[in-house]
Amino acid sequence: MAFSLTSLSKSLSSLLPSQHSLPNLPQNPPNFAPPVSQSDPKSTSIRLSSCLTTPAEETNAITCPSFAYANTLFFKSGHYNVQVVVADNEPEDKLLGRFRRAVFKAGVIQECKRRMFFESSQEKKKRKVREASKRNRRRRPKPKDSAQSKEETSKKDDDEEAGDNWELPEGDLPY
Amino acid sequence: MLEPPLSCQLSITRKSALSFNNTIVTVTDVWGRVVSWSSASTCGFKGTRKGTPLAAQTAVGNAIRAVVDQCMQRAEVMIKGPGLERDAALRAIRRSGILLSFVRDVTPMPHNGYRHPKKT
Repeated sequence: MAFSLTSLSKSLSSLLPSQHSLPNLPQNPPNFAPPVSQSDPKSTSIRLSSCLTTPAEETNAITCPSFAYANTLFFKSGHYNVQVVVADNEPEDKLLGRFRRAVFKAGVIQECKRRMFFESSQEKKKRKVREASKRNRRRRPKPKDSAQSKEETSKKDDDEEAGDNWELPEGDLPY
Repeated sequence: MLEPPLSCQLSITRKSALSFNNTIVTVTDVWGRVVSWSSASTCGFKGTRKGTPLAAQTAVGNAIRAVVDQCMQRAEVMIKGPGLERDAALRAIRRSGILLSFVRDVTPMPHNGYRHPKKT
């Protein structure tokens, strides 16, 4: 048990850099940059270490940094409409396609367009009818014997025309 | 102590009242503290050209260039707002060589908010 702990600690220490160099903040920030605190780098490192209290979180931070802080980011950013997890080797076209399809499925852009201008009650009704017809069209596909029904209707028309006596009878009139 | 990874937030704002679009790219750390930002207007585009995919691409490039020196390797992208600029910006982020963890859409959706201006 002790041996495993020591080996674990060794592996962790090997993963940790011996001299961690914090990112160099620019001395003279450009005009558009927001005021970033340019205090002593040591103070920032102390702030960071206080956030990770449990050793499990620390190991998480070392082994998989981005996912260790994913919870804080989620809660800070609030609710999201769509999330697409990206693999490292994924080509950009595939990623874009996947993201676009996910966004389309969530209906984000449609919703944005709808909320650009005010929608009156009549427009709302029309939109609801259009959406309902789309949904029902998907649920009830068109019958396949549409050709047969067309033939039947044409036959019916011919019969009706035969019964109508709009043409004048042949021969002279009696009077 | 390892620095937590930086996260990249990408937001596209659309100002319908003034009838122009703009792309703003903000790079923050995991807790939301802004590290650097850039926009189409700071890149030199003006007027309707700010709402083009090219402007979005240059804004993203500028923002990432300022942060790559600070050893940002992994990023999470958050996209806000509709528009064609989203795809161009995402493509530019992907091409910059930064590893992406996930891409999120955080377009704000009101629970039937205020009354919008009437249709023109």
